[in-house]
Amino acid sequence: MKNLLEHMGIDPGRLHFSWISSAESTKFVEVAKKVTEEAVALKSKEKKYMKTKPKVA
Amino acid sequence: MSTKEPKIISFLCNWCSYGAADLAGVSRMEYPSNIRVIRIPCTGRMSVKFVLAALRQGADAVWVSG
Amino acid sequence: MTSYTDKIREISKRLLKEGKVDMVIGFTRGSVPMMHQPMFAKNQGDVDRFVWDGNCGINLANYVTDRKEKIGIVAKGCDARNLAVHIVENKINRDQLYIIGVPCTGMLDRHKLTASVAGEIESIMEDEAGKTVTISGNGFSETYDRAAVLQENCSLCMHRNPVIYDELIADKVPEQSENDVDRFAAVRKVEEMTPDEKWAYFDDLLSDCIRCYACRNACPLCYCPTCFVDESKPQWVGKSIDPTDIRIFHFLRAYHCAGRCTDCGACVRSCPMGINVRAMTKKLEKDCLENFGWEAGLTTEQRPPLDTYKPDDPEQFIK
Repeated sequence: MKNLLEHMGIDPGRLHFSWISSAESTKFVEVAKKVTEEAVALKSKEKKYMKTKPKVA
Repeated sequence: MSTKEPKIISFLCNWCSYGAADLAGVSRMEYPSNIRVIRIPCTGRMSVKFVLAALRQGADAVWVSG
Repeated sequence: MTSYTDKIREISKRLLKEGKVDMVIGFTRGSVPMMHQPMFAKNQGDVDRFVWDGNCGINLANYVTDRKEKIGIVAKGCDARNLAVHIVENKINRDQLYIIGVPCTGMLDRHKLTASVAGEIESIMEDEAGKTVTISGNGFSETYDRAAVLQENCSLCMHRNPVIYDELIADKVPEQSENDVDRFAAVRKVEEMTPDEKWAYFDDLLSDCIRCYACRNACPLCYCPTCFVDESKPQWVGKSIDPTDIRIFHFLRAYHCAGRCTDCGACVRSCPMGINVRAMTKKLEKDCLENFGWEAGLTTEQRPPLDTYKPDDPEQFIK
């Protein structure tokens, strides 16, 4: 149901879901790497949804 | 703002992925250091609020894992 | 429309007289045109102030949340669906309600009408057959085809007749079907955009927002004791009109309506800036229909998809 986020213009690569059992440490490492890779690939793009500095403190 | 390393906020379930992360640590496996882990009692505790708050405060990606 | 009004008054009077209900919730004329307001009639003398026409766009289900009395309520298609949502969510008991069902032919879009003329609208008239609408004010008088000035959600509505009711005030009106209207055309258009275009589209859409929370207050689904925007420990979203905060507010507001929104249009109607906040909830409605085959408020028997688990729930988004 999180495709509303995508609908509103967030890159799909910025939100990930996974299911890993506590015994699957290898899968954890694998997914962690994949998530990071995607985030690095997106990094070049403009950051969205980040709070900009308020004009008045 | 650094341009190289992305910050990834990961919400891990205490019983599943957090255990897996722990096991990965214990078995000295290497995984990217961009991941900042937040342990949640269960993936059912997850809320859209968390995702938005993380993004708002500058996360590059959010990873939810059960 | 006068027949509707008469019938509502007649039924309300009877209900109050027989003591079947403690009060009847309906509409009465507002202080300015096109702004009918809700009225709680507690004795028979009040009921003559009830009216019904194309300006009753507010969702009355909003006013029964957690009420203890026996309530008679005037409900059009979407109101009745929202009452069903309330019943499912234990916000009211079915036997507390006496639902006076109103087969509805859509409500007039006040933003559209106001924008169509230069001056201030002083009066609005609908003809008896429900075909045309005439608005007039200082030095102008315009007549429109009624179908052309309906609220967008009404012209795309699939459930014009109340789904639950105790009494209908008129014969059911013909329902539109998937073949007559394409209700998700606007959503599909946005779906086809690239992420950057989408971002720009919503930037533009929400740029007028003043964070008055009228959309939240008008919505029958928003009944949390403390809304997430008012929470300060921890504070999830800033209270400023910073574009990011506005976006987060609208996103979360819409998300809280997932699987519950009946597309009644109360949010759009109440928005003082005329923002089409339905752009988000409509998408969720479409997703719910496609993923779970669910439309909100059609039954009080079944639990909504977001609080049940089924083995065949879609899961392709999970790695």
